[in-house]
Amino acid sequence: MAEYSDATLRDLITGHLPLDEVQRLQRDKDLDRMERVLKIEQARVSWSDRILVCLQEHLYVVATAGGQRVVKCSCGQEFGDYRTNWKEAALVYERAPQDGEIFLGTRGADPEWQVLREFYCPGCAVQLDVEPVPVGYPFTFNFLPDLDD
Amino acid sequence: MSANRDLRTRLAEQDRRFQETGCYEADLRVKEGDPIGFEVLFTKLLQAVTNAREVALSISASPATREQGEIIFGLYTPEGDSICLSTGLMIHVHTMSRAIKWMIENCYQTTVGLNEGDYFFNNDSFIGGGHPSDQMLITPFYVDGQLEGWVGGLTHVTETGAVEPGAMGSSFTSRFAEGLILPCLKVGEHDELRRDFDILVERSVRSPIPWLADNRAKLTGLRMIREAVRQLIKQTGPEAYQKVTREYIEDTLQATREKIRRFLFPGRYREVAWRGVTLPGQESLLQAPCDLVVGRDGSLRIDFDGLPSARRQPFQGTLPLFEGMLFNGLIQNVFYDLRYNDGTFLAVKLNVPKGTACNPDNILLPTTLWGPAYGGMMALAQCVARAYFAKGYREEVHASGPLTSGNLAGGTDQYGRPFGGQCFEFASSGMYATAFMDGLDTAFSDFNAEGDMGDAEVWEQQMPQIFLVREIRKDGGGFGKFRGGSGIHSLYMVPNGIDMDMGAFGSPPIFSTAGVMGGYPAAALRVWAGRNTNLRDIIARGEPLPSTEGDDPLQPEFVRMVKADWEFAHGQNYPARALPPGSLFSVVSGDGGGYGDPLERDPALVARDVENGTTTKRAARDVYGVVLDEISFAVDAVGTDQRRASKRRERLARGIPASVYKGRMRERVLAHDFPRPASALYRDVLAISPKFAGEFRTFWNLPEDYTV
Repeated sequence: MAEYSDATLRDLITGHLPLDEVQRLQRDKDLDRMERVLKIEQARVSWSDRILVCLQEHLYVVATAGGQRVVKCSCGQEFGDYRTNWKEAALVYERAPQDGEIFLGTRGADPEWQVLREFYCPGCAVQLDVEPVPVGYPFTFNFLPDLDD
Repeated sequence: MSANRDLRTRLAEQDRRFQETGCYEADLRVKEGDPIGFEVLFTKLLQAVTNAREVALSISASPATREQGEIIFGLYTPEGDSICLSTGLMIHVHTMSRAIKWMIENCYQTTVGLNEGDYFFNNDSFIGGGHPSDQMLITPFYVDGQLEGWVGGLTHVTETGAVEPGAMGSSFTSRFAEGLILPCLKVGEHDELRRDFDILVERSVRSPIPWLADNRAKLTGLRMIREAVRQLIKQTGPEAYQKVTREYIEDTLQATREKIRRFLFPGRYREVAWRGVTLPGQESLLQAPCDLVVGRDGSLRIDFDGLPSARRQPFQGTLPLFEGMLFNGLIQNVFYDLRYNDGTFLAVKLNVPKGTACNPDNILLPTTLWGPAYGGMMALAQCVARAYFAKGYREEVHASGPLTSGNLAGGTDQYGRPFGGQCFEFASSGMYATAFMDGLDTAFSDFNAEGDMGDAEVWEQQMPQIFLVREIRKDGGGFGKFRGGSGIHSLYMVPNGIDMDMGAFGSPPIFSTAGVMGGYPAAALRVWAGRNTNLRDIIARGEPLPSTEGDDPLQPEFVRMVKADWEFAHGQNYPARALPPGSLFSVVSGDGGGYGDPLERDPALVARDVENGTTTKRAARDVYGVVLDEISFAVDAVGTDQRRASKRRERLARGIPASVYKGRMRERVLAHDFPRPASALYRDVLAISPKFAGEFRTFWNLPEDYTV
């Protein structure tokens, strides 16, 4: 199995790894990747709670000093127990699909069919998800990691 | 054991054994005893199917086969399980297997007869394949009178004699609209296709040449594979061949479980993809809700409970097609470095409720355009992307792929001959954005990894529409930290002397595919059709013809330049209708979804895209918050920082806590205050899926008897 340097993995995470290097990673996988990535991600954040798993861009499940497992943003904002959809603790904006700021006219969906539901971090305002959904559709709970030993 | 004994019994015994043991073959003693010989033989089998594909590509006269490589060959066990497949249309890893098993289960051995040199044609997607365009030819093969297996070849044929030309019309409400459908019909004996089969095709479809030429290409490929495998069996002996080929499937099954265990994070994933029906009176959204459970033991459970009902509309797919789509998604995204065979299929547990739009139980329903059966593959791929992300394998993470879409045409060409077909350039739509780079423009489709648009001139030969424009669609791909790739925009002109109906297929007026992790979905698709144009006057005056869509989707350049009776269809479902000479027709292929927050996009990438014409200045400013010099497109770093800070403040000001949002929306839900397409979806799915109904009522805190 392959081994890759921290610099390579850091570049991959930040989106700066050249394509030929990415393709090497696609062809030949290293088996300790998760542990390596968790260390790199831990070094990128300013807080000390231990990262258990990376949920998505900016969001982690962490173990707090109090022994809880919560979803936490890279900025430090907490979203509560990881078994509850983090979107329940986000800021929500329902955007008209043809509002002209993001999609101009009919490049957007017909508002009778879909709206854009944007989820922001209340701490740093990063956009964490965009759901193109019909009016009244429940939030999608994208990922519940199996953390129980 | 006689290989010719009742195949139906053999198949049933095999299924029972697998259910009891979870193994396809009890041991891997050939592999363990001679691992190098094991690989060498597989390479020879792979070479046989790949050689056949390459030769068949050159024989076929169909542009979809020749230009796009819409063809695949496979080798199967006597029970119909795939052992190895060529490159090509990976959807059909399993769909030809389905057709062989169907013939076995329907006693073809004793009723129709199975003999050396027999050929069976199938394009009935309830049996195997995806829609009537997916046409397979299958033959059993024997050594010393004993059945040793089957060989199959499949191509996508762009004309089936359907009500609309080009086979994939968006107006179909029954199977009878889809054209000539032949369910596992014996069409050849003694290694020759029957002349009356050719006559049937010649008299049933608008352009018989692609269908007939593809049949000959497939026949050639099948014979090549059969002879190559026979030679190998002579070397190994029949018993050893049967043993080793079963081990190839078992080996893949074990490797599949191991790969899941190593590379996907265990957990529960949920993604929803969207499609819809636009037939008048039936307007409804269609959802493809994918629940994926990755087990610590390397198991995959995929559940599509929550699909809408199957109906008299074309945006649905059969179970064989849906299985094919899902395994195409898994092979493209996870198992790409394993053997392509049914071992992968056996490793997965799948639930697709009967009677839904991905498992219709009425064979008279049309299944032309797949709808959620295509979207479901994308939703599954998104679940898998998240599972990779959690394991740290970011090089495998991406947003949703494009909803491929294009045009259809038929009529009488300049030589007075009937024609019909699809312009398959949509096989090179916009690729999804990834976690490390933008999606490629005009270079991707989920169903065919070759992603080739074909030469415009070749398409003009098959469908005599003249290309005025073929360009990268500006602002098509989903905006994001990495943007989705953009698809193609094409503008066709109907030339003189042509009697032509033209249409298009795509989606309802929705975002065509989803973004991920803060990225936006891809833009909606659309059609512009212009009749009674003044093109003749423009040409006579020597004025320029339109060469682009331009920056304004509301007033494309071709609409501003050419006077016509312009018609607009939002979403690109446009049933074929007459377009007189001089008409213009503008379609787009799908675009890829975006990845990550657009305010985190490298401003230099935005500047590059504006300079290249793939991103508009408006999007650079309003979506990405990038300030560019109007002339040089140089990035104003300070101005960009200020604009982005301002846009983040706007988010905090307009965003409301989820609890407040839910409280307000709950009032609308209680009042059934939904637009019609949403209302139709909820009414249907709440009634047929207790699982979705429970989740819906719990989420909005509704009474137990709430319905729509």
